[in-house]
Amino acid sequence: MSQAVLEKPLPAPARPSEVVAQRPLDFAIIRRLVACTRPYGRLRGLLLVLVVLRSVQLPGMAWLMASVISGPIADHDFSGIALGVVLFLGWSAFTAGCFVYRSRLALELGEAVVSDLRRQIYEHLLRLPMSYFKRTEVGRLIGRVVHDVDSVRSGVQDVFFVSVVQCGSMLISAVLMVYYDWQLFLIVLGMAPGLWAVTRYFRKLSSVAYRARSESFARVTASLVESVNGIREIQSFARQDHNARSFARLIDEHAQINMHSHRLSAVFQPVLIFNGQFFLAVLLVLGGYQVLGGRVELEALIQFLFLSTAFFSAIPIVGEQYNQALTAMAGAERVFRLLDTRPDWEDRADAKDFDRIQGHVEFKSVGFEYEPGQPVLHGIDFTALPGQAVALVGPTGSGKTTVANLIAKLYLPTSGAVLIDGNDLSHMTSRSLHRQIACVTQQNFLFSGSVLDNILVGRPEATREQVGVALDALGVADIIEGLPGGVDSKVGERGVGLSIGQRQIVCFARAMLADPRVVILDEATSSVDSVTEARVQQALFRLLLGRTSFVVAHRLSTIVHADQVLVLEHGCIVERGTHAELLDKNGPYSRLYRQFVSGQAELAPNTSARSE
Amino acid sequence: MFPSALAPSGSPLRRLLQLTWRYRAACLQVFAFQIILLALALGGLSLTGLSVDVLRHALDPAAPLPSWPRGLAQLADWATHRQLLAVGGLVLGMGALHALLGYAHGIQSGRVQHLRLVPELRAQVFHKLQRLSFPFYDQNGSASIINRVTSDVQAARSFVDGVMLQGGILVLTLGVYAVFMLRAHVGLTLACLGATPLIWVLTRRFSVWAQAAYQKTRQLVDEMVLTMSEGIHGIVVTKVFGREPEELARFEKRNRAVVDQQQDIFRRASNFTAAVHFSSQINVAVLLGYGGLLVSQRTLTLGDLIVFANVLTQFAGQISAMARVVNTLQQSLAGARRVFDVLDAPIDIRSPERALGMDHPKAESLAGSLRFEHVHFAYPNGHLALSDVSFEVTAGTCLAILGATGAGKSTLLSLIPRFYDTSAGRVTIDGHDVREFDVDTLRRSVGVVFQQTLLFKQSIADNIAFGHPGAARADIERAAQIAGVHDFIQRLPAGYDSLLAEEGVNLSGGQRQRLALARAVFVQPRFLILDDPTTALDAHTESDVLTAMRAVMRGRTTLMAANRLSTLRFADRIIVLERGQIIEQGTHSELMAVRGLYYRTARLQGVVDEARPQALTEQCV
Repeated sequence: MSQAVLEKPLPAPARPSEVVAQRPLDFAIIRRLVACTRPYGRLRGLLLVLVVLRSVQLPGMAWLMASVISGPIADHDFSGIALGVVLFLGWSAFTAGCFVYRSRLALELGEAVVSDLRRQIYEHLLRLPMSYFKRTEVGRLIGRVVHDVDSVRSGVQDVFFVSVVQCGSMLISAVLMVYYDWQLFLIVLGMAPGLWAVTRYFRKLSSVAYRARSESFARVTASLVESVNGIREIQSFARQDHNARSFARLIDEHAQINMHSHRLSAVFQPVLIFNGQFFLAVLLVLGGYQVLGGRVELEALIQFLFLSTAFFSAIPIVGEQYNQALTAMAGAERVFRLLDTRPDWEDRADAKDFDRIQGHVEFKSVGFEYEPGQPVLHGIDFTALPGQAVALVGPTGSGKTTVANLIAKLYLPTSGAVLIDGNDLSHMTSRSLHRQIACVTQQNFLFSGSVLDNILVGRPEATREQVGVALDALGVADIIEGLPGGVDSKVGERGVGLSIGQRQIVCFARAMLADPRVVILDEATSSVDSVTEARVQQALFRLLLGRTSFVVAHRLSTIVHADQVLVLEHGCIVERGTHAELLDKNGPYSRLYRQFVSGQAELAPNTSARSE
Repeated sequence: MFPSALAPSGSPLRRLLQLTWRYRAACLQVFAFQIILLALALGGLSLTGLSVDVLRHALDPAAPLPSWPRGLAQLADWATHRQLLAVGGLVLGMGALHALLGYAHGIQSGRVQHLRLVPELRAQVFHKLQRLSFPFYDQNGSASIINRVTSDVQAARSFVDGVMLQGGILVLTLGVYAVFMLRAHVGLTLACLGATPLIWVLTRRFSVWAQAAYQKTRQLVDEMVLTMSEGIHGIVVTKVFGREPEELARFEKRNRAVVDQQQDIFRRASNFTAAVHFSSQINVAVLLGYGGLLVSQRTLTLGDLIVFANVLTQFAGQISAMARVVNTLQQSLAGARRVFDVLDAPIDIRSPERALGMDHPKAESLAGSLRFEHVHFAYPNGHLALSDVSFEVTAGTCLAILGATGAGKSTLLSLIPRFYDTSAGRVTIDGHDVREFDVDTLRRSVGVVFQQTLLFKQSIADNIAFGHPGAARADIERAAQIAGVHDFIQRLPAGYDSLLAEEGVNLSGGQRQRLALARAVFVQPRFLILDDPTTALDAHTESDVLTAMRAVMRGRTTLMAANRLSTLRFADRIIVLERGQIIEQGTHSELMAVRGLYYRTARLQGVVDEARPQALTEQCV
């Protein structure tokens, strides 16, 4: 029979539907999880006391109720009934009071641990070098981390504490039942393993079903996302009916899978209920016979009706917690593995801060490979004097961006050395170097926030006036002020809300504000409209003025103005010199140039494509 | 194709009721099952109580006589052992029946939701989404549209499942329980339910509060995750400027915000749960006191008291379930509103009643000339994108459109396949207004290549044959050859069957655009629209794509938006747009002679001016 207060897992915030994998209990992981709760030792200790208390309170309540019914009520003892009611109310109040703290502290502990883990993960990710991000699909990584951390949460806040309460309740109910009649208890005990097996079996099946469901739902969503994003294509090729048919197939499949997992619970619930009824029938007949035979008190039988419920109801709950524990193991294992990822390289222990660099950059027979055995740069040698502009030119994949990455110390050369002011970069702390170089990437990445926030990335301590000065120096103050909110205009995720040209200008301003000695710039390939284009080029020119600069160039004007053009092909410098010198050489550069500028020169302006 | 029982008007609630009405037979079955299940459960309980009374009477003849229910009255004369055996057997039998019917009940309610309601509604929404015109897509973000098919449909489903079915079941259950208890003892029932309104009030108040609080939490969690994912995507910026500490602080602020927000929820949720538990314990205490009194006065048997205690507990559980139903009602209404928004959204762009078919009978005779006649276009938000645009393209020639971002190039192009309709003026093909043609046929006769090509996660062959699924391989290869990607595709390990998926072939920008050209030319369109397809490419890749473009354009009337001189030079004529108006038009040399915007753009891009061949870019920096 049922009893009012059950110890159920606490409500957790919504979690994304993602594939859940499980992992057997692992002592090392458990120990590490326990270590995560160490900073909250007081909370943990208090919780332990509370759950032990509750494991006594719950069967205590069932026992009190049964005792009042089978004792004073059956004996028509008025004062006994009154005393029983008062005791029952007092005990209930005590139980409820404990629950308030037991629930709240567990939730707080879970949240605290989870928030610590999230911070640690992010801190760790920020420390990992670029090579890690190159080989890891970060979007999925983040999705998984968020999900895994949440499964760790339930492991921390629920599994142990709920299990203690439930197992404790089972034990105490069992002791009470043995006390009343050990032979009748044997029936209860005999049924427990069956119930446990059934629970585990259904949990396992439903885990599998859950995974199938989230996979099929992911397929539905993916197809939907494609249809929504590709609506232009779909409508312009009049594909609506075909798409609707294939989507209907997906939904159908998803419906079947949903039905399957629904069917599981449609079986499990009745089985649980039937188990209760079966026990009841056995108890009534066998127990009843014993009572009639005078071997057992009626009181004992009534106690069994209540206590067995407390005993049995714990089994599915512990089964569910066991399942949670396995999921938490898998999540924790992935979280810890991420935290244990060793960076490919870190600043050397003896690296020094160099606070004022001049901007003399030198490559000494630098070789580099992203993947071992697949070199992308061979023996790169060049020197850039302070204040010089260097243009890096060459076809896609020739190694231009890699050269830029090495100057920024985003990677370390595999062989040779990169020197700034004659000092090997590997002897320099990344932090001091990065304070003095600035980088504008092709994506013109902006954080969500305001334009000002984005510019301040260059120098967080700068004032608004200093930002204004930087904008003036670039000659773009009017463009930024022309935005709806000026420098305080909101920028959406990844720069949404600004045009490509405006985004470039914000990135330039960010670099300008940093007032670096070395500027590295990967020009965007996307062309902006011609008016903005002129402004962008002007701002670019001002940004580079007086600084050592390296530009992965896509614009002719940038190349023409460079002090030095390095032409790369297949990871080697094949030509170097100024634009004019290189044109005279009539080598690879002049070929590139022709393709670049007048690649279609054979198409005389008024000869149309039609004429062919 | 789909039943349209949903009237296009009326409040969401009314329409949800109509939706439920469609599944009335199944719902009634579920209710019928539920009544039987309840009866069986209560029957089992009563029998337990009865057996306690039987035992008590057998042990102590002074105890009240067990009251046998009507159908079992003849058992009263049996020996106690046989009575117990019979009751045990009945409990077992009813338990088995309960389990079987419980299974059938579960399956039946699952069928209504999962196999009928959700798939039907999803398919209906999807079907509609596919046909909605572009203005709808402009006004609603893609995430919101996607949610309408996924979570909003689920929310609307939960009306049938969580409100109508569960609510119906609840009312039935509470009713049956109440009747059962009242029949046992009216006074005791009323006394025991005394604290119940308190549970109801507590639950309602908490759930109203919690809904808002959880909403806030979700929002903060989203922000926290966004900060993390943004930080990772922008890791280069953070590293290059050495801003790791600032970035970590930015994240930690959001991380803390989540923790702080949660504290309040934790406190209230814990208090609430404890309060509800305690209230139902008060009910039990009343039962023990008052019920105990009644038992001693012999107005109630001990067995009845035990049964009462159990029913009472379940009753309390149902009360909190009631609050859940009310919550679900609110959520499902919000979701349903968004679903109905889609189903009701008008399809602005439709074929006329008597449409001109373009492919037959006069496909061959269609010359392919195009005219814009005093075309104005304003977006629904009032932004005037084109004003008084007139021009003509003779069949088989190429017109290029030059203009700054936002000048109206893409808008102009999208009027031809009727992605939008003009606000005033008309677009004609061979003298017929485009609105006279069948929309699908019109669109099939216009091949479009966009700035950024979206390829689908299918094989390369399927992507090229996008306009005619299941076409012959030879046709697909021919299109690929024209677009100059055949050799590239053949070199892939799986050739034309290579899958374009995240883990699949990595295409460069140039290859994507050439595939897009192949896809466009595959449907053998009369017209070709190229919306600046080389804009995102670097100079080297561009030249390959340009070659492909020239091949694809052959023999078709082509309109293209372009920013680069390299592309503009393909055109027979060029129009220059500024703020939605044509400010210059003519051939390349005519426009160079005008020395207007076209001329300045040409100079900026370092293209050799016929007059002064070596004057490069000096002036522009």
